[in-house]
Amino acid sequence: MDPFSAEGELINLHNHFHQGQYQDVVDFDTAALSPENALPARVLQLRARVALGQADDVLADVQGEAEPELEAVAALAEQARGDAAAALKTASRLAASAPANATVQTLAGTVLQAAGRSEDALALLSQHQGNLEAVALIVQIHLQQNRTDLALKEVVAARRWAQDSLLVNLAESWVGLRLGGEKYQQAFYVFEELAQAPATSSVRSLVSQAVAELHLGRTEEAQVALEQALKKEPAFADAIADLLVLSVITGKDTKELTSSLEKVDAQHPLLTDLAEKSDLFDKAATKYKAKVAA
Amino acid sequence: MQASSGMLTKFESKSSRAKGIAFHPKRPWILVSLHSSTIQLWDYRMGTLIDRFEEHDGPVRGVDFHKTQPLFVSGGDDYKIKVWSYQTRRCLFTLNGHLDYIRTVFFHHELPWIVSASDDQTIRIWNWQNRSLLCTMTGHNHYAMCAQFHPKEDLVVSASLDQSVRVWDISGLRKKHSAPTSMSFEDQVSRANANQTDMFGNTDAVVKFVLEGHDRGVNWVAFHPTMPLIVSAGDDRLIKLWRMSETKAWEVDTCRGHFQNANGALFHPHQDLILSAGEDKTIRVWDLNKRTAVNSFKRENDRFWVIAAHPEINLFAAGHDNGVMVFKLERERPASTVFQNTLFYITKEKHVRSYDFQKNVESPTLLSLKKLGSSWVPPRTLSYNPAERSILVTTTADGGSYELINLPRDGSGAIEPTESKRGQGNSAIFVARNRFAVLNTTSQTVDIKDLTNNTTRSFKPPIGTSDIYFGGTGNLLIIAPTAVHLYDIQQKKTTAELSVNGVKYVVWSNDGLYAALLSKHNVTIVTKALEQVSTLHETIRIKSATWDDAGVLLYSTLNHVKYTLLNGDNGIVRTLDQTVYLVRVKGRSVYCLDRASKPKILQVDPTEYRFKLALVKRNYEEMLHIIQNSSLVGQSIISYLQKKGYPEIALQFVQDPTTRFELAIECGNLEVAVEMAKQLDRPKLWSRLSTEALSHGNHSIVEMCYQKQKQFDKLSFLYLTTGDESKLSRMAKIAEHRGDFTSRFQNALYLGEVEDRIQMFKEIDLYPLAYMTAKFNGLEDECQSILEATGLTEDQLSLPKLGAPLTPPKLVVPTYKANWPTKATSQSFFEKALLGQVEGLSLDDEPNAATSGLGLDDVAEDDAAGKRNGALAEPEEDEDAAGWDLGDDVVPEVEEGFVNVESADAGGAGSSEADLWARNSPLAVDHVAGGSFETAMQLLNRQVGAVNFTPLKARFLEVYQASKTYLPASAGLLALVNYVRRTVEESDPRKVLPIIPRDLEYLATNDLQRGYDSMKTNKLEDGLEVFKGILYAVLINAVGSESEVTEAKKLITSASEYAVAMAIELGRRKLGTTDVINKNPQLLKRSLELSAYFTIPKIQVPHRQIALLNAMNLAMRSKNYNTALSFANRILANGGASKTLETAKKTKAQCERNPHDSVEIEFDQFAEFEICAASHTPIYSGTAFEECAFDGSKYHTKFKGTVCAVCGVCEVGKHGSGLKLFA
Repeated sequence: MDPFSAEGELINLHNHFHQGQYQDVVDFDTAALSPENALPARVLQLRARVALGQADDVLADVQGEAEPELEAVAALAEQARGDAAAALKTASRLAASAPANATVQTLAGTVLQAAGRSEDALALLSQHQGNLEAVALIVQIHLQQNRTDLALKEVVAARRWAQDSLLVNLAESWVGLRLGGEKYQQAFYVFEELAQAPATSSVRSLVSQAVAELHLGRTEEAQVALEQALKKEPAFADAIADLLVLSVITGKDTKELTSSLEKVDAQHPLLTDLAEKSDLFDKAATKYKAKVAA
Repeated sequence: MQASSGMLTKFESKSSRAKGIAFHPKRPWILVSLHSSTIQLWDYRMGTLIDRFEEHDGPVRGVDFHKTQPLFVSGGDDYKIKVWSYQTRRCLFTLNGHLDYIRTVFFHHELPWIVSASDDQTIRIWNWQNRSLLCTMTGHNHYAMCAQFHPKEDLVVSASLDQSVRVWDISGLRKKHSAPTSMSFEDQVSRANANQTDMFGNTDAVVKFVLEGHDRGVNWVAFHPTMPLIVSAGDDRLIKLWRMSETKAWEVDTCRGHFQNANGALFHPHQDLILSAGEDKTIRVWDLNKRTAVNSFKRENDRFWVIAAHPEINLFAAGHDNGVMVFKLERERPASTVFQNTLFYITKEKHVRSYDFQKNVESPTLLSLKKLGSSWVPPRTLSYNPAERSILVTTTADGGSYELINLPRDGSGAIEPTESKRGQGNSAIFVARNRFAVLNTTSQTVDIKDLTNNTTRSFKPPIGTSDIYFGGTGNLLIIAPTAVHLYDIQQKKTTAELSVNGVKYVVWSNDGLYAALLSKHNVTIVTKALEQVSTLHETIRIKSATWDDAGVLLYSTLNHVKYTLLNGDNGIVRTLDQTVYLVRVKGRSVYCLDRASKPKILQVDPTEYRFKLALVKRNYEEMLHIIQNSSLVGQSIISYLQKKGYPEIALQFVQDPTTRFELAIECGNLEVAVEMAKQLDRPKLWSRLSTEALSHGNHSIVEMCYQKQKQFDKLSFLYLTTGDESKLSRMAKIAEHRGDFTSRFQNALYLGEVEDRIQMFKEIDLYPLAYMTAKFNGLEDECQSILEATGLTEDQLSLPKLGAPLTPPKLVVPTYKANWPTKATSQSFFEKALLGQVEGLSLDDEPNAATSGLGLDDVAEDDAAGKRNGALAEPEEDEDAAGWDLGDDVVPEVEEGFVNVESADAGGAGSSEADLWARNSPLAVDHVAGGSFETAMQLLNRQVGAVNFTPLKARFLEVYQASKTYLPASAGLLALVNYVRRTVEESDPRKVLPIIPRDLEYLATNDLQRGYDSMKTNKLEDGLEVFKGILYAVLINAVGSESEVTEAKKLITSASEYAVAMAIELGRRKLGTTDVINKNPQLLKRSLELSAYFTIPKIQVPHRQIALLNAMNLAMRSKNYNTALSFANRILANGGASKTLETAKKTKAQCERNPHDSVEIEFDQFAEFEICAASHTPIYSGTAFEECAFDGSKYHTKFKGTVCAVCGVCEVGKHGSGLKLFA
């Protein structure tokens, strides 16, 4: 039986992880779990620690472990440390040696995608057998490739066998935010339900809720949610970025937010993208000039 | 035909065969006459047997309550009619006359008459007041089975085994007996006798109609309460409906269905229904108008013998082989649900309505559910989804079904729902904004469905699940017969279980932390994790409940509104005269729905439970408030406080000294206790007080108590321990006076006064002891004197060995002077508050707070209104325009290589939404948002001749930045980028367009005002920036309609004029300081010119006045009176602020005396000209000029090809296709 399925004992751990409640995952008492679930639980906890920024510790933890799962975690940790080359090497090796392992699929897929090798990631992930995390990743990769149609197909297919599971709902909401229209509202419901229930609330869900609200044009509500998120975790780069976007939309001054985003994550896509566009602008502007200099 | 599932049995009794039934018209009582000769009086609400009446001999078949008097009548197989008083609980008298079994007896509704039907084939009318037989109606030629009065007219209907139903006219009888009453006793007797003679061929009661149609004996017959209809039931198993007019009567129709003798039939008192009961063990319900079967209820083993209806309320009773059952045909609980301040409910007409708790108004009908379920079955439950404004309605019809319907925005009468989604299910409730759960009890499944009615997941609930309720986010409360489960929908498993029997309803508290589980007789309060908090039992049925905002549960039973706190403390709030279903509590108002489904407001006094709640929460301010403002007295609250361990609070309520004393002792309030003890002055109280005071260490009170009680020994000891020697010696004196030697000795001992002791011993002739004492203390003289007095010598005495002499301990602390630090005073915050020691608790400041609150509200409302207006002004029409305009304008081809950055490294990648924007729109702004800066620049170049883009960079990046959000998705990967649209409703990728920050409306309300402000406050540099900013923002923008395009153009012109004006004035100021200018005639001339040009641009009048005033003053100073005069005239023509006008008038007067200019400047006040924005010189009308294609600023032709000085972007004289803001 799939230990992450609704009846499985890892469901809570799994849900915590995907709701972005990483600390809850780390704090989860795994002593009571049955032996066959010990490894998946450990992997989840390690992943949560990576997400919490403890990549070095995790790497030390899994050093020398031979299970492909733990090697995959090592790859993830390497990638999180910024050691992309090593991560990619491990991931590629695992993708070749243990492509059927669900954890390998998920983690190596993540590493590959993060390194920009979407096709390899998709090739690996497409081998999954009812692995919802793989589905979610595939959806995300398709979305990043702007193939909303493929992402939608993936979600619809997953919904057939996975019913109302959290990851499917999330993935559907991601797609929904691309589709727009009524789907904005539906995505909002999903995120809001997660974000507003104390048991499932996390910074990530709050930010997601805010993003949905922003897309719905409800700037005030989005502002509230983002402020809530930043109160929880002041250094959450995406929240700052979204707040920055919101401030631009509502015509507010963004200097402070830009500098705080630079402080938190100088490599945030918003900043790099903006810098790139700024150069582009300068370059493009040179093509024009007045006939007569003033 | 349906199964008997819908039967709502309210009461059942076990007995021998029940033959007759009667409802009490007012009280919850039912009389049952049994085949075993007993008549039972039941309280069907409580389920208790009130009384038994056993005087008949043999079966009792007929029984009836009097409508107003405490009487009932019965008739039995002993041929006797008995009239009883249920107050005195005995038979008042017996009416004899019938010659065979009596089948039915009924009281007349107003006259003191009884009608009886008997196997002796007669129907008789009796007067129970003078206990006489009035009339015997003969005509039936077999047993008369049933006879009833018409509820209004002078008619009797009877049924007989002779297969006929007869209608009798008894108007003659009434005439005869309502004749003037001034009759002598003899007359009455003769009248009574005359009756007897009337027996044959009389005119008192004549047969009006004989109804033939049954082909077996007729067992029962009844009139319709209002219509001229009769229903009868016969051994031919048929129920027949008859109609009558003044002159004739005829059979209307027959209801076929019973397959054994039909024994009873009646009309429903309020609805168009017929009920019948028969020996086939069924009760059947028929539609009066269609004569079709509506419902049938079957009993396993018992044949039905009789059926009766309650005259007022919706209750029926049927007698069968083993007792009676009281039942309802339909649920009377109106389906309702509360969301925030709105109640949604379904009326008896199956209309959905809402009720606003704040305004206390009922909405018009929102929706008609006429077609939902069967016409006789009211909807069972209602669940509301605020997000979608939709409702879920369930009905028990068709084996249980639900319907999901959207409510219209506003009620406009009984509209049928336009579209609805339905399905089978017994319970259906919303569990999330976009999900609802449906329980199917027969298949025992719960389906979670989305709003399109598709099942998203499905699971098997615990066995025997009978109902489901919302269980908090992501959870269901599943109701099984003996337990309630908290079920996690995601995990598909029970996360908590509580064994509670027979839960019927769940009511959540407003904060969602607690739920009340209501079963027939129990209220169980649980937390949201299904942990039991408290439970209570009620003997009367519990009907409904609702939570107060403070966390008090108010619940209604059949006859009370009660409350319970979370800790289980409960009490009665008020009594009810009719059953209601509570929906909301707000202050003193309890909102409820009555059985007619009408919203009602009951006034209650919440003081008691508020007080108790405050007590539990230790909210002393609240308690204080309550105590000071309400009359909260009574033994119950005192004993409650005492029981709960708050004697000090109870103390505040009590006047009775004894109780006060008890409470004071209990809470250790000695002052009060002393006061009360003094008042009462009883030894017992003093002794209790002393004990209490002693334990406190309050010795002065102890002293007083001992004094009062005259407990000298204890007093002495007290003085000893407190070291009060003076009092101790006084005690010794007292003892001496009293002649109490023991006490005296004791005191002497305490005081260490040896002489006194010796003296005392001597006085009581205890010389040996006196000697011993003296010896012991070394008082040899005294010893000698004793020896002498006794005539003994020392040798004759044998003394025990003596130790050291006893001396009393020395005083260390003068304790007696003051009390020890006593036990911590238990004066609570609360008491302090009562004594006025706590500041800020005064009650006066409340109204203030209230008013300030109001003020805030107003502001908030205004705000909201403003926002609403703002929202209204925002158009939403740009969708339909996006498609067709594509070819209309020069849209540069998107250069694939550059835009699709990702397509290089990801083969399967598509184009992003940002690319779509560029494709979808000919507007520069949409290209900017899409990141396609090059094409945007191309567009701007072609539209308005933009060549210098540097000033636009900030705006480009602003628009670009606003277009994307970052959604954290899978861990370890970058956030998902999503594209923010201004077309929020649109999902067609060919029509989506990006959001634009600082749209036209924003610019007009924010930036433009800032610009005006800087003009007013003379911050021209800032102002210039602001107006240029506006120009950039409008240049890269989009609007929603053609009319907005005009507005945008106006904004551009206005900003441009201001920019020119400000640039001119700034140019003038740059010429140098006043001194420098005055010295240089060139500069002076230029300065005067510029100040004059400053008045030319078309800026707002008040701002123009500033410019004019400025120009006028400068001209005056330079003695250019003529020019100054023209400015003054213009100022006066413009009007406005009186101060300005005053100055202008003065200047004008001054100038008119000498209208000459001393400095010649290039400014012709009479010519029409515009200002060149670059050189700031006049362009007289008629001369050639160039202009900026974007902002419309004018230039001398020589500036053609330069960058516009105003916007700094466009090339002067380059004519494009014009700025496009709307596609």
